Amino acid sequence: MALLGAGIGAGIAAVGAGIGIGLIGQGAAEGIARQPEAYDDIQGVMILTAALVEGVALFGLIVCIMILFGIGQ
Amino acid sequence: MVKAFRRLLVLLCFCLFLPLRLAAAGKKGDQANNNPIQVVSVVKNHNKFEYPGGWVPLPRILLANGHWYFFKSTTQAIKSGKFTEKNGELVPANGGDIDLDLSITSHLIYFWISMLISLGIVLGMVRRYRKGYGRTTEPKGWFQNMFESVFIFIREEVAEKNLRPELARKYFPFLFGIFILILFMNLFSLVPWGETATADITVTATLAVVSFVLTQRNSTKSHWREIFWYPGVPIWVRFLLIPGELIGVFTKPFALAVRLYANMLSGKIMIVCILGLIFVFAQSFGRGAGWATSVVAVPVTVSLFALKAIISLIQAYIFSLLTAVFIGLADKDHAPADQAAEVHA
Repeated sequence: MALLGAGIGAGIAAVGAGIGIGLIGQGAAEGIARQPEAYDDIQGVMILTAALVEGVALFGLIVCIMILFGIGQ
Repeated sequence: MVKAFRRLLVLLCFCLFLPLRLAAAGKKGDQANNNPIQVVSVVKNHNKFEYPGGWVPLPRILLANGHWYFFKSTTQAIKSGKFTEKNGELVPANGGDIDLDLSITSHLIYFWISMLISLGIVLGMVRRYRKGYGRTTEPKGWFQNMFESVFIFIREEVAEKNLRPELARKYFPFLFGIFILILFMNLFSLVPWGETATADITVTATLAVVSFVLTQRNSTKSHWREIFWYPGVPIWVRFLLIPGELIGVFTKPFALAVRLYANMLSGKIMIVCILGLIFVFAQSFGRGAGWATSVVAVPVTVSLFALKAIISLIQAYIFSLLTAVFIGLADKDHAPADQAAEVHA
């Protein structure tokens, strides 16, 4: 049962991060297409935001790993 | 350039022979236990330092039942009769638990090694610049060129973009130091026998605490006023905002620690899982299935290692970037107007 929970949780965390990073990529691509000269600024903001999104997803992943290895029981 | 390339090629050829010895060592271990394969849940012993061809035990420093114990190695701790081994972990022989385990682990050793390497590189470069290379003339040699481009990248993209000029000057040494320290710790995961020190929550938490202390040391009055008494909103909203803002102060370093830790750990686990597929298939469908799987799994692992190298670089960059952003946020009076957007980790 714990294994099932860990698997489902990791999947949902991945879905959330995927949607978030996809939206960031969409925004960045549109921004760069409109204003190619702002490439450097957009790239910096994109990496920063992607890191923040990914951090939240990794919280979920760490909890799943803890369930999987039975840490904290 | 050609010379450097040739050197790299020789190094790669040398590395090809290393896995052979590793495979030979692995074979011996396989025959010892015939249990079903537990790929992921093998807990590695971190109380020894491995190097090509062997390993040395590391000292154990333990606080149990109010007494400090110092041992040269785990075996010596068991020999002394005060500790016994249970499920691969030390427990006091006369009952009770270990209260505090300050043993020197392989992660700590790699932390020190990375620190020495980055210190050596930076001090060597300082001496070079003092001599005048790079100041009066152009930077000389590929290494100084690489160093200078990294140095300028961190100064311009990380420090000066997020901090006002005085603060950028003050905090740039810390930002650059933490960048190359984390970079070396991350890159040790690519070395055979190497350990990723940053795949240990205690290491990343220590780094995050340092960045938290530096952030708060430089925080301004208006930063704290925004936390406890947010300006420009009705009074009941102000009370509502206090817990959220206060939690935000502590989640920032927490997120910093967990992000680095989880990234490095997940890279490690992914490689173990994909290589482990070979053995899982070989055990359940016979030897041929194992060979067939390895045709797929080994190239995937190679590409994962390449991905890991990129992630090592990006995570080191992100750690120093976010530290700079947090320092800039706590420095609210002086923040540039376009930085007013709140960043919540």
